[in-house]
Amino acid sequence: MRLADSRTLLPDLVTAPVEPQADRRLIETLASWCDRYTPWVAVDPLGDAVAQEDIDPCSAGGFGGDAGLLLDVTGCGHLFGPGEAGERALLADLTERLSRHDFTCRAAMADTAGTAWALARFAEKQADLFCPPKGPREALAALPVDGLRLDRPILETFLKLGLRRIGDLYPLPRAPLARRFGDQPLTRLDQALGRIDEPIEPRRPPPTFRTRLAFAEPIGRPEDIAAATSRLLAALCRQFEQASVGARQLEIALYRVDGSIDRTAIGTSRPNRDSPKLMKLFEEKLGELDPGFGVELMILSAPEVEEWTGSQDALPEAAVRNPLAEDGTIDLADRLTLRFGKDNVVRLLPRDSHIPERVQTTAPISAPAAVEGAWSRLASMKGARPTRLLQRPEPVEVTALLPDEPPRQFTWRRHAHKVAKVEGPERIADEWWRPRPGGKTMPANVIPPVRDYYRIEDDDGGRFWLFRDGPLNAAKWFLHGFCA
Amino acid sequence: MSVISPNAFASPATDSQGPVLPPLLREQVRRLERAHSAERPGRAAAPLGLAEIDRLLPDGGLLTGALHEIEAGPSPSGRVAPHDGAALGFTAFLLGRLGPGTLLWCRQPSGADAALYAPALAAWFDPARLLMVTARRDEDLFWAMEEGLRTPGIAAVVGETRAADPTAGRRLSLAAEKNGVPALLLRPQPAPPQSVCATRWRVASAPSLDLTQSRWRVELRRNRFGMPSAEETPSWLLEWNDETRRLAVVSQAQHGSTGAPRRQRLVG
Repeated sequence: MRLADSRTLLPDLVTAPVEPQADRRLIETLASWCDRYTPWVAVDPLGDAVAQEDIDPCSAGGFGGDAGLLLDVTGCGHLFGPGEAGERALLADLTERLSRHDFTCRAAMADTAGTAWALARFAEKQADLFCPPKGPREALAALPVDGLRLDRPILETFLKLGLRRIGDLYPLPRAPLARRFGDQPLTRLDQALGRIDEPIEPRRPPPTFRTRLAFAEPIGRPEDIAAATSRLLAALCRQFEQASVGARQLEIALYRVDGSIDRTAIGTSRPNRDSPKLMKLFEEKLGELDPGFGVELMILSAPEVEEWTGSQDALPEAAVRNPLAEDGTIDLADRLTLRFGKDNVVRLLPRDSHIPERVQTTAPISAPAAVEGAWSRLASMKGARPTRLLQRPEPVEVTALLPDEPPRQFTWRRHAHKVAKVEGPERIADEWWRPRPGGKTMPANVIPPVRDYYRIEDDDGGRFWLFRDGPLNAAKWFLHGFCA
Repeated sequence: MSVISPNAFASPATDSQGPVLPPLLREQVRRLERAHSAERPGRAAAPLGLAEIDRLLPDGGLLTGALHEIEAGPSPSGRVAPHDGAALGFTAFLLGRLGPGTLLWCRQPSGADAALYAPALAAWFDPARLLMVTARRDEDLFWAMEEGLRTPGIAAVVGETRAADPTAGRRLSLAAEKNGVPALLLRPQPAPPQSVCATRWRVASAPSLDLTQSRWRVELRRNRFGMPSAEETPSWLLEWNDETRRLAVVSQAQHGSTGAPRRQRLVG
């Protein structure tokens, strides 16, 4: 029916433009919200038809009224009560909370995802929504075939053939059915009846380790949140000990009363299960969290864990001793990394190269440190080096008597420096065996570019490191560093 | 009978009549005097190995639990030095005199400026001990330094910044004192002094005889707990030998001989 026709029939009809993106965002938010019940939450794939035929989900009735979420609540019911009563309470809690946020919803729980899907959409009695006592086979029999999540053409053919209820399919021989309609009807039927496993693909990889803490009254004070975090941490660290792992990453999620969620994460540079230390890292981050109108639930999870190595060094060779391995330094580095970022807390590593700017590289703290004495060995192999090196050599204007002579004077940043003493040259050739920036190696018949380095003292006592680049007739001079 | 005289807290050595203070009490008095840290009794000061300088410093060396400031001074001609090579060299030398452990080096990002170059620093200490932190804001830099001072296993904390903040300086000094870890502020340019620092050095490069032997003009501009000296700001000409890796004080006679022709040229 067109909008104009509808308006004629119902003059005060409320209309709103379709916003598939906003619908998508809303369902994603709802799915995040459902993390409070289980980490295994998936947005209903809306039947394969929509995905395969690339239909606009709205025209196929995917989003909007028919949107769905699949939750695997296996083993989650005990949080709400013992045994079956807990699962029933979970379902009631879910519907009640959603309707409190003004969502119209129907939730069903069953042994298989397929049965729950069909029940939520087509069950006639409220009592049928929770785990039908007679089993999925009986419960599905009375439902229309639409409940099988079939492609539209198959569905239409079924209806034409008079197969209206799912129960109508039970007595049919399987082989002819498969020959006539393909795999889909049988697969769907088997999935709904639990003969084939149908795993739920969670939106976020579910963490193996997680703890939750629900509050009778919403909390909002920073001290309360910190206290709750430290309780959660203690519980999680006990789990770590049993599994002999340590956390590399931890995430805390605050479920606010208004249905929104705030998360923050910390990382460590080696497996850690010391709850006071982890708490110290969290203290940095808790300030960023906004409790909003109050927090009713907190979940702490460890998305990334590693095998516990304890205080032992990961590397067996005694030679590769980590000078920063002392606990204090690692913890300090973690705290600093949290505040300044991975790239801003680094250590210096030597690299096998002759080019001065390539010799030194930086690495995050989690990378293995330089072998003890590697630096001094490297330093003893090379000539005098500056204590500070310019990241990018700066061009200088140079006055020299002859092209191949050291300079008499140079001008750097508009300051003229008279040269008093010179040491050099030290010739450093480009490394021909390394690929050029273009990705090609240097042709064999080309002489690699060389730099002639000079250590220079000006008449004021300042010591500089300059080099001449290129052929003598067109040499360019650069300042590359400052000596002590 | 017991009138508290101004001499009441004098050291027991000078007070021959009175009973010798028990070590605990002496430590308490020292702490009151803020000269030492009680936590690391054996490591109160790290001698520089230069008798002329150590003589003036408290406990014959660089106090480990204190804030020290090293600034790059102007060059001999009075021009602002274009870089702080000498001050950095002197800082690296001081770090080399301290005990083992991690060296936390805090700096501020500056695109054009030159970064530390480990192959040269290896002359003074193992650069593998360095933990480099880049903090954008002054507050963050001071925070990182303070965190470092409170961490066990840290040998020294260096802050490379132009920022001067009396409150931050005070906090750093207290944290250093409490944990017995030295905090060094390296100033690429002369900066407003931190009043709480134990020593303040001004280091500038000086013309050398030979390029393998760099010379630094080092002034001790503040020496909070040290011995008084004849000059107002004691200053030395130090020579770093690249080959023997030793720092030595150039005697006055030698230094006069190289200084004289320079002065003539400046006049002319």
